[in-house]
Amino acid sequence: MSKYLHDLWSSVSSSIIGMGITFKHLVRIRKGNVTLQFPEEKWPRPERNIGFDHKDYNVIRSKLHVDMDDCIGCYKCARACPVDCIKIETIKVPKGTDIGTTSNDTKKRLLVNRFDIDMTECMYCNLCVYPCPEECIFMTGGPNSSKHPIDYEFSEYNREGLMYRFATATQEEIDRYTDTETPEKPTEKEETE
Amino acid sequence: MVVDNLMQWFESWTLWEAGSPLLFLIVVVIAGVPIFLLMAVNALVAVYAELKISAFMQDRVGPMGQGPGLHAGKWGLLQTVADALKLLLKEDIIPTLADRKLFIIAPFIIFVTPFIALAALPFNQDLLIADLNIGVFYILAVGSIGVIGIIMAGWSSNNKWSLYGAMRSAAQIISYEIPVALSIVSVIMLTGTLSMQGIISYQNGTTLGILPNWILFNNPFSFIAFFIFFISGVAEVNRTPFDIPEAESELVAGFHTEYSGMRWAFFFLSEYANMLIISGVAAVAFLGGWHSPIPGFMESSGWSLFWFISKVGVLIFIMMWFRWTFPRLRVDQLMNICWKVLLPLALLNIFGVGIWTLLIG
Repeated sequence: MSKYLHDLWSSVSSSIIGMGITFKHLVRIRKGNVTLQFPEEKWPRPERNIGFDHKDYNVIRSKLHVDMDDCIGCYKCARACPVDCIKIETIKVPKGTDIGTTSNDTKKRLLVNRFDIDMTECMYCNLCVYPCPEECIFMTGGPNSSKHPIDYEFSEYNREGLMYRFATATQEEIDRYTDTETPEKPTEKEETE
Repeated sequence: MVVDNLMQWFESWTLWEAGSPLLFLIVVVIAGVPIFLLMAVNALVAVYAELKISAFMQDRVGPMGQGPGLHAGKWGLLQTVADALKLLLKEDIIPTLADRKLFIIAPFIIFVTPFIALAALPFNQDLLIADLNIGVFYILAVGSIGVIGIIMAGWSSNNKWSLYGAMRSAAQIISYEIPVALSIVSVIMLTGTLSMQGIISYQNGTTLGILPNWILFNNPFSFIAFFIFFISGVAEVNRTPFDIPEAESELVAGFHTEYSGMRWAFFFLSEYANMLIISGVAAVAFLGGWHSPIPGFMESSGWSLFWFISKVGVLIFIMMWFRWTFPRLRVDQLMNICWKVLLPLALLNIFGVGIWTLLIG
């Protein structure tokens, strides 16, 4: 009988202790909770330190970005791409026409009227970055933070949203140069679509 | 009350003779609409509360949508609405080898149980579908019909989990009916009536100078009776920690494993309505029903409704608190608690209340 009563008492008291613990958690609602409301709140990115200097490596495979002011339309990145996700079209401009110079003082000879990167196909191999003579195609963030902030959360509601169209040539410019001369059709592996 | 008033109102049209069965049928159907709405609203609110309470108790944040559209409202307020819509749109699957007729009927029997029990639950002085002179007895009796639906669902699903769940549920509900009934007996011994309004009117006024004259505070035995009633009540509505009929880790979902869409929603709706009924009966029988906690203060009919709903709300909150605190009991532990702890205590209580009323009351 005394064991029965003791069991009864211990079950009641331990139940009260347990309910006290859950109630404590209930009332300090936002203080201890571990859920992060992701799109609004983000964990701070940890400092990267893999043994050598931050500027000396280019391994952040975040998102490709093209600085169109520097692009000369050389197709080197498109040729390097193993999955053919870079699509370029260019128009040859007449000799002597000035369509700008790059930051490396290279004169632009071709008007890039299409520069599309399909990020659904991109496999983040970084191979397009190395051949670029003007260093205008690069992965965002990391050593390139000064050129473009890091961007690795680029989800879209639509597949079309992941087709990044970088070409800046206006329709007027395109019309001007296609009228004067027939555009030189690039013979390289350019059109797969 | 509502039924009587409606009957008088219709009879005043003199289209029907007094006591016409057709008139009675019409009145009953009209009176059923608010009960259905109550059950639906109760489920929407209680499910949201449960999501949030469980989240906070586990240091999560729960549903947290940020505005209409794809997200579920501010603080996830529209979460349960979205859930209800989803359930309405889901495919209704009936297993090929299920006993089709029973499979279809079972959710309705389970749904009807709290539906008809709610008819006798008084929300304030007047808001009561029917003031039965055997109100408490009626609710307890009707509450046991649900077990037929559960066994039907379990058997007709033609699934071992469902059948196990149904059998466990039957054993559990039948066992826990006894402490529930016995603890109510100790209340009836004090009040001398089975009518819900009669029990509430007994609890008018003050006791011990300051406390409201609730049966909870009437004597030490009725104080214990409340806890016996509430614990067995939680067991009777199959809530955790007594949810062995639908123990997720053992039986997938117990008797409603094979149900989906709207039929499953009926199980869900009736589970929350059952919580409402057990809390309502506990509030009526022990916590003074619609009486204010400060006797004679704010007891107009609007405030009475408020007091009753807040008492029921607190009890439902305690049920959720139980759920997110205690682990599930084993089958033998469950039976142990019922037959070796609650039943002897309930019997002792009846004896104690009898002695108390004889000597002091």
